[in-house]
Amino acid sequence: MTVKAGPLAVAAKILLTLVYGVPILWILLTSVKSSDDVFDADRTFLFRPVTTAYVEALDGDLLRALLQSVTIATCATALVLVIAIPAAYGLARTRGPLPTLGLGLLIVLQMMPQTATVIPLFQVFSGWRLLDTTAAVVLADAALLAPFATLLLRPFFRAVPPQIEEASSIDGAGIFRTFWSVVLPVARNGVATVGTLTFLLAWGEFLYAVNFYLTPGQYPLSALLAQQVSAFGINWPGLMALAVLTSIPILVVFSASYRLLRDGLTVGAVK
Amino acid sequence: MTAPATAAPARQARPRRTPTAPRRRRGGSRLVFLLPAALFLGLFSIYPLVQLLRMAASEVTAATLNADWAWTGLDNVRRGFETGQTGPAVSRTLVFVVVVTVLGMLVGFGAAIALRTSGRWSAWLLALMVFVWALPPVVNGSVWKFLLNDAGLINTVLLGTGLRDDPVPFLYDQHWALFAVAFVNAFAVIPFNTLVFRAALMTIDPEVFEAAQLDGASKWQQVRHIMVPSVRPTTLVLLILTLVYGFRSFDFIYVMTYGGPGTATNTLPFLGYLQAFVRYDYGLGAATSALAVVGVLVLAVVYARSIKREEADG
Repeated sequence: MTVKAGPLAVAAKILLTLVYGVPILWILLTSVKSSDDVFDADRTFLFRPVTTAYVEALDGDLLRALLQSVTIATCATALVLVIAIPAAYGLARTRGPLPTLGLGLLIVLQMMPQTATVIPLFQVFSGWRLLDTTAAVVLADAALLAPFATLLLRPFFRAVPPQIEEASSIDGAGIFRTFWSVVLPVARNGVATVGTLTFLLAWGEFLYAVNFYLTPGQYPLSALLAQQVSAFGINWPGLMALAVLTSIPILVVFSASYRLLRDGLTVGAVK
Repeated sequence: MTAPATAAPARQARPRRTPTAPRRRRGGSRLVFLLPAALFLGLFSIYPLVQLLRMAASEVTAATLNADWAWTGLDNVRRGFETGQTGPAVSRTLVFVVVVTVLGMLVGFGAAIALRTSGRWSAWLLALMVFVWALPPVVNGSVWKFLLNDAGLINTVLLGTGLRDDPVPFLYDQHWALFAVAFVNAFAVIPFNTLVFRAALMTIDPEVFEAAQLDGASKWQQVRHIMVPSVRPTTLVLLILTLVYGFRSFDFIYVMTYGGPGTATNTLPFLGYLQAFVRYDYGLGAATSALAVVGVLVLAVVYARSIKREEADG
Protein backbone atom coordinates (compact mmCIF):
# COMPACT_ATOMS: atom_id res chain seq x y z
CA MET A 1 0.00 0.00 0.00
CA THR A 2 1.37 3.43 -0.84
CA VAL A 3 0.25 6.25 1.38
CA LYS A 4 1.44 9.78 0.73
CA ALA A 5 2.49 11.73 3.79
CA GLY A 6 0.51 14.89 4.52
CA PRO A 7 2.05 17.98 6.13
CA LEU A 8 1.09 16.77 9.62
CA ALA A 9 2.75 13.42 9.06
CA VAL A 10 5.90 15.15 7.78
CA ALA A 11 5.98 17.36 10.88
CA ALA A 12 5.56 14.31 13.10
CA LYS A 13 8.37 12.54 11.29
CA ILE A 14 10.72 15.52 11.66
CA LEU A 15 9.97 15.66 15.39
CA LEU A 16 10.49 11.92 15.84
CA THR A 17 13.71 11.99 13.85
CA LEU A 18 15.01 14.72 16.16
CA VAL A 19 13.83 13.08 19.40
CA TYR A 20 15.34 9.70 18.51
CA GLY A 21 18.27 10.86 16.41
CA VAL A 22 19.68 13.57 18.68
CA PRO A 23 20.40 11.32 21.69
CA ILE A 24 22.34 8.90 19.48
CA LEU A 25 24.21 11.78 17.84
CA TRP A 26 25.00 13.30 21.25
CA ILE A 27 26.38 10.05 22.64
CA LEU A 28 28.73 9.83 19.67
CA LEU A 29 29.74 13.52 19.71
CA THR A 30 30.34 13.66 23.45
CA SER A 31 32.40 10.51 23.46
CA VAL A 32 35.00 12.17 21.22
CA LYS A 33 35.11 15.51 23.06
CA SER A 34 37.59 16.65 25.66
CA SER A 35 36.11 17.39 29.10
CA ASP A 36 36.50 21.15 28.55
CA ASP A 37 34.41 21.13 25.39
CA VAL A 38 31.48 19.11 26.75
CA PHE A 39 29.31 21.97 28.02
CA ASP A 40 30.69 24.70 25.78
CA ALA A 41 27.80 25.82 23.56
CA ASP A 42 30.19 27.27 20.99
CA ARG A 43 31.79 23.89 20.53
CA THR A 44 28.65 21.82 20.10
CA PHE A 45 29.54 20.68 16.59
CA LEU A 46 32.87 22.40 15.93
CA PHE A 47 35.48 20.96 18.24
CA ARG A 48 38.69 19.04 18.03
CA PRO A 49 37.74 15.38 18.26
CA VAL A 50 39.89 13.49 20.72
CA THR A 51 40.01 9.80 21.49
CA THR A 52 41.02 10.40 25.12
CA ALA A 53 37.81 8.93 26.51
CA TYR A 54 38.18 5.71 24.50
CA VAL A 55 41.87 5.36 25.27
CA GLU A 56 41.16 5.81 28.98
CA ALA A 57 38.15 3.48 28.91
CA LEU A 58 39.87 0.68 27.01
CA ASP A 59 41.82 -1.13 29.67
CA GLY A 60 41.89 -4.53 31.29
CA ASP A 61 38.83 -3.71 33.43
CA LEU A 62 36.75 -2.92 30.35
CA LEU A 63 37.75 -6.11 28.58
CA ARG A 64 36.89 -8.07 31.70
CA ALA A 65 33.49 -6.36 31.83
CA LEU A 66 32.93 -7.09 28.15
CA LEU A 67 33.75 -10.74 28.71
CA GLN A 68 31.34 -10.79 31.67
CA SER A 69 28.57 -9.26 29.53
CA VAL A 70 29.12 -11.83 26.79
CA THR A 71 29.18 -14.71 29.26
CA ILE A 72 26.07 -13.60 31.14
CA ALA A 73 24.00 -12.74 28.06
CA THR A 74 24.97 -15.92 26.19
CA CYS A 75 24.42 -18.29 29.10
CA ALA A 76 21.15 -16.62 30.10
CA THR A 77 19.85 -16.78 26.51
CA ALA A 78 20.78 -20.46 26.14
CA LEU A 79 19.15 -21.31 29.47
CA VAL A 80 16.00 -19.35 28.64
CA LEU A 81 15.65 -21.06 25.24
CA VAL A 82 16.11 -24.52 26.74
CA ILE A 83 13.30 -23.79 29.18
CA ALA A 84 11.00 -21.63 27.08
CA ILE A 85 10.95 -23.57 23.79
CA PRO A 86 9.44 -26.77 25.18
CA ALA A 87 7.18 -24.83 27.55
CA ALA A 88 5.82 -22.64 24.75
CA TYR A 89 5.17 -25.70 22.58
CA GLY A 90 3.53 -27.53 25.46
CA LEU A 91 1.27 -24.57 26.22
CA ALA A 92 0.37 -24.15 22.55
CA ARG A 93 -0.75 -27.77 22.21
CA THR A 94 -2.42 -28.64 25.51
CA ARG A 95 -5.70 -27.63 27.06
CA GLY A 96 -7.14 -28.02 30.51
CA PRO A 97 -6.78 -26.56 33.97
CA LEU A 98 -3.04 -27.18 34.29
CA PRO A 99 -1.93 -25.31 31.15
CA THR A 100 -4.38 -22.50 31.97
CA LEU A 101 -2.86 -22.18 35.42
CA GLY A 102 0.60 -22.24 33.86
CA LEU A 103 -0.31 -19.46 31.45
CA GLY A 104 -1.72 -17.33 34.23
CA LEU A 105 1.40 -17.83 36.33
CA LEU A 106 3.64 -16.87 33.42
CA ILE A 107 1.68 -13.66 32.87
CA VAL A 108 2.02 -12.75 36.53
CA LEU A 109 5.74 -13.61 36.61
CA GLN A 110 6.39 -11.65 33.44
CA MET A 111 4.93 -8.58 35.11
CA MET A 112 6.77 -8.87 38.43
CA PRO A 113 8.76 -5.75 39.28
CA GLN A 114 12.43 -6.69 39.20
CA THR A 115 13.00 -4.66 42.35
CA ALA A 116 10.63 -7.07 44.11
CA THR A 117 12.45 -10.22 42.97
CA VAL A 118 15.95 -8.94 43.69
CA ILE A 119 15.26 -8.81 47.45
CA PRO A 120 14.31 -12.48 48.02
CA LEU A 121 16.78 -13.72 45.39
CA PHE A 122 19.56 -11.94 47.27
CA GLN A 123 18.52 -13.77 50.42
CA VAL A 124 18.11 -17.13 48.65
CA PHE A 125 21.46 -16.89 46.82
CA SER A 126 23.20 -15.80 49.98
CA GLY A 127 21.82 -18.89 51.72
CA TRP A 128 23.04 -21.10 48.86
CA ARG A 129 26.46 -19.37 48.89
CA LEU A 130 25.92 -18.26 45.26
CA LEU A 131 26.45 -14.55 45.87
CA ASP A 132 29.37 -13.01 43.99
CA THR A 133 29.17 -15.71 41.28
CA THR A 134 28.22 -15.35 37.64
CA ALA A 135 25.88 -18.32 38.09
CA ALA A 136 23.66 -16.23 40.38
CA VAL A 137 23.27 -13.49 37.76
CA VAL A 138 22.65 -15.98 34.95
CA LEU A 139 20.03 -17.91 36.94
CA ALA A 140 18.27 -14.73 38.02
CA ASP A 141 18.29 -13.34 34.47
CA ALA A 142 16.90 -16.61 33.13
CA ALA A 143 14.12 -16.60 35.74
CA LEU A 144 13.34 -12.99 34.82
CA LEU A 145 13.20 -13.58 31.06
CA ALA A 146 11.88 -17.14 30.68
CA PRO A 147 8.19 -16.23 31.30
CA PHE A 148 8.34 -13.42 28.73
CA ALA A 149 10.13 -15.67 26.22
CA THR A 150 7.58 -18.46 26.66
CA LEU A 151 4.61 -16.16 26.18
CA LEU A 152 6.16 -14.57 23.09
CA LEU A 153 7.00 -17.97 21.57
CA ARG A 154 3.63 -19.60 22.12
CA PRO A 155 1.83 -17.94 19.16
CA PHE A 156 4.62 -19.11 16.84
CA PHE A 157 3.96 -22.71 17.86
CA ARG A 158 0.22 -22.23 17.61
CA ALA A 159 0.75 -21.14 14.01
CA VAL A 160 2.34 -24.51 13.15
CA PRO A 161 -0.43 -26.57 11.47
CA PRO A 162 -1.32 -29.59 13.63
CA GLN A 163 -1.76 -31.63 10.44
CA ILE A 164 1.97 -31.86 9.84
CA GLU A 165 2.39 -33.24 13.34
CA GLU A 166 -0.30 -35.82 12.71
CA ALA A 167 1.43 -36.79 9.47
CA SER A 168 4.67 -37.15 11.36
CA SER A 169 3.13 -39.32 14.08
CA ILE A 170 1.43 -41.54 11.50
CA ASP A 171 4.90 -42.05 10.04
CA GLY A 172 5.84 -43.42 13.43
CA ALA A 173 7.69 -40.52 15.05
CA GLY A 174 7.19 -40.02 18.79
CA ILE A 175 6.24 -36.67 20.31
CA PHE A 176 9.84 -35.66 21.03
CA ARG A 177 11.06 -36.54 17.56
CA THR A 178 8.06 -34.82 15.97
CA PHE A 179 8.75 -31.74 18.04
CA TRP A 180 12.47 -31.68 17.27
CA SER A 181 12.48 -32.46 13.56
CA VAL A 182 9.08 -31.24 12.39
CA VAL A 183 7.70 -28.50 14.64
CA LEU A 184 10.90 -26.71 15.68
CA PRO A 185 12.16 -26.08 12.13
CA VAL A 186 8.81 -24.56 11.17
CA ALA A 187 8.89 -22.24 14.19
CA ARG A 188 12.54 -21.25 13.78
CA ASN A 189 11.70 -17.58 13.09
CA GLY A 190 9.99 -17.37 16.44
CA VAL A 191 12.93 -19.00 18.17
CA ALA A 192 15.33 -16.56 16.50
CA THR A 193 13.17 -13.56 17.45
CA VAL A 194 12.84 -14.63 21.06
CA GLY A 195 16.51 -15.59 21.31
CA THR A 196 17.58 -12.18 19.99
CA LEU A 197 15.29 -10.30 22.35
CA THR A 198 16.41 -12.35 25.32
CA PHE A 199 20.02 -11.63 24.46
CA LEU A 200 19.36 -7.88 24.17
CA LEU A 201 17.50 -7.79 27.48
CA ALA A 202 20.13 -9.85 29.30
CA TRP A 203 22.84 -7.59 27.88
CA GLY A 204 21.16 -4.51 29.34
CA GLU A 205 20.18 -6.02 32.70
CA PHE A 206 22.11 -4.40 35.57
CA LEU A 207 20.11 -4.60 38.81
CA TYR A 208 20.93 -8.25 39.52
CA ALA A 209 24.56 -7.72 38.52
CA VAL A 210 24.98 -4.67 40.76
CA ASN A 211 23.53 -6.47 43.77
CA PHE A 212 24.70 -10.07 43.38
CA TYR A 213 28.33 -9.24 42.59
CA LEU A 214 29.87 -7.93 45.77
CA THR A 215 32.76 -6.14 44.04
CA PRO A 216 32.64 -3.93 40.90
CA GLY A 217 35.61 -5.88 39.54
CA GLN A 218 33.18 -8.52 38.24
CA TYR A 219 30.53 -6.18 36.82
CA PRO A 220 29.37 -6.58 33.22
CA LEU A 221 29.31 -3.44 31.03
CA SER A 222 25.73 -2.48 31.88
CA ALA A 223 26.41 -2.55 35.62
CA LEU A 224 29.64 -0.61 35.18
CA LEU A 225 27.71 2.04 33.28
CA ALA A 226 24.95 2.16 35.91
CA GLN A 227 27.54 2.56 38.63
CA GLN A 228 29.36 5.39 36.88
CA VAL A 229 26.28 7.36 35.86
CA SER A 230 24.86 7.46 39.40
CA ALA A 231 28.19 8.67 40.83
CA PHE A 232 28.88 12.31 41.65
CA GLY A 233 31.06 14.37 39.34
CA ILE A 234 30.43 12.38 36.20
CA ASN A 235 33.16 12.24 33.57
CA TRP A 236 30.79 12.69 30.61
CA PRO A 237 33.12 11.85 27.71
CA GLY A 238 34.26 8.72 29.56
CA LEU A 239 30.68 7.74 30.31
CA MET A 240 29.56 8.26 26.72
CA ALA A 241 32.53 6.28 25.41
CA LEU A 242 31.48 3.46 27.74
CA ALA A 243 27.90 3.81 26.47
CA VAL A 244 29.11 3.52 22.87
CA LEU A 245 31.19 0.46 23.67
CA THR A 246 28.21 -1.11 25.48
CA SER A 247 25.97 -0.40 22.49
CA ILE A 248 28.21 -1.69 19.68
CA PRO A 249 27.28 -5.36 20.25
CA ILE A 250 23.62 -4.28 20.32
CA LEU A 251 24.11 -2.59 16.95
CA VAL A 252 25.61 -5.78 15.53
CA VAL A 253 22.79 -7.98 16.82
CA PHE A 254 20.20 -5.40 15.78
CA SER A 255 21.52 -5.04 12.21
CA ALA A 256 21.44 -8.79 11.78
CA SER A 257 17.92 -9.24 13.15
CA TYR A 258 15.97 -6.03 12.54
CA ARG A 259 13.52 -7.53 10.04
CA LEU A 260 12.95 -10.47 12.32
CA LEU A 261 12.28 -8.20 15.31
CA ARG A 262 10.06 -5.83 13.36
CA ASP A 263 7.81 -8.64 12.16
CA GLY A 264 8.21 -11.06 15.08
CA LEU A 265 7.50 -8.65 17.93
CA THR A 266 4.00 -7.99 16.75
CA VAL A 267 2.93 -11.62 16.31
CA GLY A 268 1.53 -11.91 19.82
CA ALA A 269 -0.09 -8.51 19.96
CA VAL A 270 -1.85 -8.24 16.60
CA LYS A 271 -4.40 -10.62 15.21
CA MET B 1 21.97 -22.27 19.31
CA THR B 2 21.72 -25.78 20.78
CA ALA B 3 23.68 -28.63 19.24
CA PRO B 4 21.74 -31.13 17.14
CA ALA B 5 20.68 -34.26 18.93
CA THR B 6 23.31 -36.97 18.70
CA ALA B 7 21.30 -39.99 19.77
CA ALA B 8 18.58 -40.84 17.27
CA PRO B 9 15.41 -42.12 18.93
CA ALA B 10 15.02 -45.89 18.72
CA ARG B 11 12.32 -45.99 16.11
CA GLN B 12 11.69 -49.67 15.65
CA ALA B 13 11.23 -50.25 19.39
CA ARG B 14 8.18 -48.00 19.52
CA PRO B 15 4.94 -49.94 19.79
CA ARG B 16 2.48 -49.43 16.97
CA ARG B 17 -0.57 -47.44 17.91
CA THR B 18 -4.06 -47.69 16.57
CA PRO B 19 -4.98 -44.61 14.50
CA THR B 20 -7.32 -43.16 17.13
CA ALA B 21 -5.25 -43.76 20.26
CA PRO B 22 -2.52 -41.10 19.85
CA ARG B 23 -5.00 -38.33 19.25
CA ARG B 24 -6.65 -38.88 22.60
CA ARG B 25 -3.40 -39.36 24.46
CA ARG B 26 -1.67 -36.37 22.90
CA GLY B 27 -3.02 -33.64 25.17
CA GLY B 28 -1.90 -35.40 28.33
CA SER B 29 1.52 -36.54 27.19
CA ARG B 30 2.51 -33.12 25.89
CA LEU B 31 2.39 -31.77 29.43
CA VAL B 32 5.88 -33.28 29.72
CA PHE B 33 7.15 -30.27 27.76
CA LEU B 34 6.12 -27.99 30.61
CA LEU B 35 8.28 -29.84 33.13
CA PRO B 36 11.64 -27.99 32.73
CA ALA B 37 9.94 -24.60 33.01
CA ALA B 38 7.87 -25.72 35.99
CA LEU B 39 10.93 -26.98 37.87
CA PHE B 40 13.12 -23.99 37.04
CA LEU B 41 10.54 -21.30 37.71
CA GLY B 42 9.36 -23.10 40.82
CA LEU B 43 12.86 -22.88 42.24
CA PHE B 44 13.94 -19.44 41.00
CA SER B 45 10.66 -17.51 40.76
CA ILE B 46 7.91 -19.01 42.90
CA TYR B 47 10.09 -19.96 45.87
CA PRO B 48 11.67 -16.46 46.00
CA LEU B 49 8.17 -14.94 45.91
CA VAL B 50 7.20 -17.05 48.91
CA GLN B 51 10.36 -15.85 50.63
CA LEU B 52 9.42 -12.27 49.77
CA LEU B 53 6.08 -12.67 51.53
CA ARG B 54 7.74 -14.29 54.54
CA MET B 55 10.28 -11.47 54.74
CA ALA B 56 7.50 -8.91 54.41
CA ALA B 57 5.90 -10.31 57.56
CA SER B 58 9.14 -10.60 59.55
CA GLU B 59 11.89 -8.46 60.97
CA VAL B 60 14.83 -8.99 58.62
CA THR B 61 17.99 -6.90 58.77
CA ALA B 62 21.46 -7.39 57.30
CA ALA B 63 22.49 -9.20 60.49
CA THR B 64 19.56 -11.64 60.49
CA LEU B 65 19.30 -12.18 56.72
CA ASN B 66 20.25 -15.84 56.96
CA ALA B 67 19.16 -16.45 60.54
CA ASP B 68 15.70 -17.10 61.97
CA TRP B 69 13.36 -14.17 61.42
CA ALA B 70 11.08 -12.84 64.11
CA TRP B 71 7.47 -12.95 62.81
CA THR B 72 5.93 -9.48 63.00
CA GLY B 73 2.82 -9.89 60.85
CA LEU B 74 1.69 -6.63 59.27
CA ASP B 75 4.10 -4.48 61.31
CA ASN B 76 6.32 -3.71 58.31
CA VAL B 77 3.39 -2.59 56.17
CA ARG B 78 2.05 -0.43 59.02
CA ARG B 79 5.49 1.06 59.62
CA GLY B 80 5.79 1.94 55.93
CA PHE B 81 2.53 3.87 56.03
CA GLU B 82 3.02 5.47 59.46
CA THR B 83 6.47 6.82 58.63
CA GLY B 84 4.93 8.51 55.61
CA GLN B 85 6.93 6.54 53.06
CA THR B 86 4.41 4.23 51.42
CA GLY B 87 1.49 6.61 50.91
CA PRO B 88 3.36 9.29 48.94
CA ALA B 89 5.19 6.55 47.00
CA VAL B 90 1.83 5.16 45.86
CA SER B 91 0.66 8.55 44.57
CA ARG B 92 4.02 9.18 42.87
CA THR B 93 3.72 5.78 41.20
CA LEU B 94 0.24 6.68 39.94
CA VAL B 95 1.42 10.01 38.48
CA PHE B 96 4.40 8.27 36.91
CA VAL B 97 2.30 5.48 35.38
CA VAL B 98 -0.28 7.93 34.01
CA VAL B 99 2.38 10.10 32.34
CA VAL B 100 4.17 7.10 30.82
CA THR B 101 0.94 5.47 29.65
CA VAL B 102 -0.72 8.57 28.16
CA LEU B 103 2.44 9.66 26.33
CA GLY B 104 3.33 6.11 25.33
CA MET B 105 -0.10 5.32 23.88
CA LEU B 106 -0.90 8.65 22.20
CA VAL B 107 2.52 9.33 20.72
CA GLY B 108 2.88 5.66 19.81
CA PHE B 109 -0.39 5.73 17.88
CA GLY B 110 0.39 9.07 16.25
CA ALA B 111 3.84 7.89 15.23
CA ALA B 112 2.33 4.71 13.80
CA ILE B 113 0.01 6.77 11.60
CA ALA B 114 2.91 8.97 10.45
CA LEU B 115 5.13 5.95 9.78
CA ARG B 116 2.43 4.07 7.87
CA THR B 117 3.52 6.06 4.85
CA SER B 118 5.76 4.26 2.44
CA GLY B 119 9.18 5.57 1.58
CA ARG B 120 12.75 5.42 2.70
CA TRP B 121 12.46 8.02 5.45
CA SER B 122 9.64 6.14 7.24
CA ALA B 123 11.46 2.83 7.00
CA TRP B 124 14.69 4.39 8.22
CA LEU B 125 13.03 6.25 11.08
CA LEU B 126 11.22 3.13 12.26
CA ALA B 127 14.52 1.26 12.29
CA LEU B 128 16.15 4.08 14.26
CA MET B 129 13.36 4.05 16.83
CA VAL B 130 13.45 0.29 17.27
CA PHE B 131 17.23 0.48 17.64
CA VAL B 132 16.89 3.08 20.42
CA TRP B 133 14.29 0.83 22.04
CA ALA B 134 16.73 -2.10 21.87
CA LEU B 135 19.52 -0.15 23.57
CA PRO B 136 20.13 -0.94 27.23
CA PRO B 137 18.12 1.39 29.52
CA VAL B 138 21.39 2.46 31.16
CA VAL B 139 22.55 3.87 27.85
CA ASN B 140 19.32 5.78 27.16
CA GLY B 141 19.18 6.92 30.79
CA SER B 142 22.77 8.17 30.68
CA VAL B 143 22.32 10.24 27.56
CA TRP B 144 19.08 11.79 28.81
CA LYS B 145 20.69 12.64 32.13
CA PHE B 146 23.29 14.44 30.03
CA LEU B 147 20.76 16.18 27.77
CA LEU B 148 18.66 17.34 30.77
CA ASN B 149 21.68 18.71 32.61
CA ASP B 150 21.81 22.41 33.55
CA ALA B 151 24.20 23.08 30.70
CA GLY B 152 22.82 20.25 28.57
CA LEU B 153 21.22 20.51 25.15
CA ILE B 154 17.60 20.99 26.26
CA ASN B 155 18.47 23.87 28.58
CA THR B 156 20.82 25.41 26.01
CA VAL B 157 17.97 25.46 23.50
CA LEU B 158 15.48 26.82 26.05
CA LEU B 159 17.86 29.62 27.07
CA GLY B 160 18.84 30.32 23.48
CA THR B 161 15.24 30.78 22.34
CA GLY B 162 14.59 33.09 25.28
CA LEU B 163 11.76 30.93 26.65
CA ARG B 164 13.57 30.76 29.99
CA ASP B 165 16.02 33.04 31.74
CA ASP B 166 17.52 30.35 33.93
CA PRO B 167 18.05 26.63 33.27
CA VAL B 168 15.23 24.26 34.21
CA PRO B 169 16.41 22.00 37.06
CA PHE B 170 14.89 18.93 35.38
CA LEU B 171 16.49 16.25 37.52
CA TYR B 172 17.01 17.92 40.88
CA ASP B 173 13.78 19.80 41.45
CA GLN B 174 11.04 18.23 43.59
CA HIS B 175 8.38 18.74 40.95
CA TRP B 176 10.27 18.39 37.70
CA ALA B 177 12.21 15.20 38.45
CA LEU B 178 9.28 12.77 38.45
CA PHE B 179 7.96 14.15 35.15
CA ALA B 180 11.40 14.22 33.56
CA VAL B 181 12.05 10.56 34.36
CA ALA B 182 8.51 9.59 33.31
CA PHE B 183 9.08 11.38 30.00
CA VAL B 184 12.26 9.40 29.35
CA ASN B 185 10.41 6.19 30.23
CA ALA B 186 7.76 7.09 27.68
CA PHE B 187 10.52 7.87 25.16
CA ALA B 188 11.82 4.35 25.67
CA VAL B 189 8.45 2.59 25.25
CA ILE B 190 7.07 4.62 22.32
CA PRO B 191 9.04 2.71 19.60
CA PHE B 192 7.55 -0.61 20.71
CA ASN B 193 4.02 0.81 20.78
CA THR B 194 4.58 2.41 17.38
CA LEU B 195 5.70 -0.91 15.94
CA VAL B 196 2.66 -2.75 17.26
CA PHE B 197 0.16 -0.05 16.28
CA ARG B 198 1.74 0.17 12.83
CA ALA B 199 1.41 -3.57 12.32
CA ALA B 200 -2.26 -3.32 13.30
CA LEU B 201 -2.84 -0.41 10.89
CA MET B 202 -1.20 -2.35 8.06
CA THR B 203 -3.87 -5.03 8.32
CA ILE B 204 -6.60 -2.58 7.29
CA ASP B 205 -7.72 -3.19 3.72
CA PRO B 206 -6.47 -0.27 1.53
CA GLU B 207 -9.82 -0.27 -0.26
CA VAL B 208 -11.44 1.00 2.91
CA PHE B 209 -9.33 4.17 2.71
CA GLU B 210 -9.99 4.52 -1.01
CA ALA B 211 -13.72 4.29 -0.40
CA ALA B 212 -13.48 6.84 2.41
CA GLN B 213 -11.56 9.23 0.17
CA LEU B 214 -14.14 8.89 -2.58
CA ASP B 215 -16.80 9.74 -0.04
CA GLY B 216 -14.85 12.86 0.84
CA ALA B 217 -13.73 11.83 4.32
CA SER B 218 -11.02 14.07 5.76
CA LYS B 219 -7.74 12.70 7.17
CA TRP B 220 -9.02 13.25 10.67
CA GLN B 221 -12.27 11.40 9.90
CA GLN B 222 -10.23 8.50 8.52
CA VAL B 223 -8.25 8.36 11.75
CA ARG B 224 -11.34 8.68 13.91
CA HIS B 225 -13.66 6.30 12.07
CA ILE B 226 -11.35 3.77 10.41
CA MET B 227 -8.03 3.56 12.25
CA VAL B 228 -9.12 3.94 15.87
CA PRO B 229 -11.86 1.28 15.73
CA SER B 230 -9.71 -1.19 13.83
CA VAL B 231 -6.84 -1.11 16.34
CA ARG B 232 -9.11 -1.39 19.38
CA PRO B 233 -8.23 -5.02 20.32
CA THR B 234 -4.53 -4.21 19.94
CA THR B 235 -4.96 -1.07 22.00
CA LEU B 236 -6.34 -2.98 24.96
CA VAL B 237 -3.41 -5.41 25.14
CA LEU B 238 -0.89 -2.64 24.53
CA LEU B 239 -2.51 -0.43 27.16
CA ILE B 240 -2.03 -3.03 29.85
CA LEU B 241 1.53 -3.77 28.72
CA THR B 242 2.35 -0.06 28.89
CA LEU B 243 0.69 0.32 32.31
CA VAL B 244 2.76 -2.57 33.63
CA TYR B 245 5.91 -1.22 31.99
CA GLY B 246 5.43 2.13 33.71
CA PHE B 247 4.54 0.51 37.00
CA ARG B 248 7.55 -1.79 37.28
CA SER B 249 10.04 0.64 35.79
CA PHE B 250 13.10 1.33 37.91
CA ASP B 251 16.09 1.46 35.54
CA PHE B 252 15.66 5.07 34.48
CA ILE B 253 15.01 6.13 38.06
CA TYR B 254 18.13 4.28 39.16
CA VAL B 255 20.30 5.86 36.48
CA MET B 256 18.87 9.39 36.35
CA THR B 257 17.87 10.31 39.92
CA TYR B 258 18.37 7.27 42.17
CA GLY B 259 15.05 8.10 43.80
CA GLY B 260 15.96 11.74 44.47
CA PRO B 261 16.01 14.63 44.91
CA GLY B 262 15.00 13.71 48.46
CA THR B 263 12.21 11.23 47.87
CA ALA B 264 10.79 12.91 44.75
CA THR B 265 11.19 9.89 42.44
CA ASN B 266 10.66 7.14 45.02
CA THR B 267 7.98 5.13 43.26
CA LEU B 268 6.67 2.05 45.05
CA PRO B 269 9.01 -0.49 43.41
CA PHE B 270 12.05 1.76 43.81
CA LEU B 271 11.23 2.61 47.43
CA GLY B 272 11.23 -1.10 48.25
CA TYR B 273 14.63 -1.48 46.63
CA LEU B 274 16.11 1.47 48.56
CA GLN B 275 14.71 0.24 51.87
CA ALA B 276 16.25 -3.20 51.34
CA PHE B 277 19.59 -2.47 49.70
CA VAL B 278 20.48 1.03 50.90
CA ARG B 279 18.99 0.99 54.40
CA TYR B 280 19.39 -2.78 54.85
CA ASP B 281 15.87 -3.05 56.24
CA TYR B 282 14.99 -6.14 54.20
CA GLY B 283 11.71 -6.70 56.01
CA LEU B 284 10.41 -3.19 55.26
CA GLY B 285 11.68 -3.38 51.67
CA ALA B 286 9.97 -6.74 51.18
CA ALA B 287 6.71 -5.35 52.58
CA THR B 288 6.79 -2.38 50.18
CA SER B 289 7.63 -4.71 47.29
CA ALA B 290 4.81 -7.05 48.28
CA LEU B 291 2.41 -4.11 47.89
CA ALA B 292 3.84 -3.54 44.41
CA VAL B 293 3.28 -7.22 43.64
CA VAL B 294 -0.38 -6.85 44.61
CA GLY B 295 -0.69 -3.96 42.17
CA VAL B 296 0.80 -6.12 39.43
CA LEU B 297 -1.59 -8.98 40.24
CA VAL B 298 -4.58 -6.75 39.60
CA LEU B 299 -3.19 -5.70 36.21
CA ALA B 300 -2.29 -9.32 35.37
CA VAL B 301 -5.89 -10.45 35.90
CA VAL B 302 -7.18 -7.75 33.54
CA TYR B 303 -4.51 -8.68 31.00
CA ALA B 304 -5.21 -12.41 31.14
CA ARG B 305 -8.91 -11.77 30.60
CA SER B 306 -8.37 -9.53 27.59
CA ILE B 307 -5.95 -12.03 26.02
CA LYS B 308 -8.42 -14.83 26.55
CA ARG B 309 -11.08 -12.80 24.78
CA GLU B 310 -8.64 -12.10 21.91
CA GLU B 311 -7.82 -15.76 21.47
CA ALA B 312 -11.46 -16.73 21.59
CA ASP B 313 -12.16 -14.20 18.83
CA GLY B 314 -9.16 -15.15 16.69
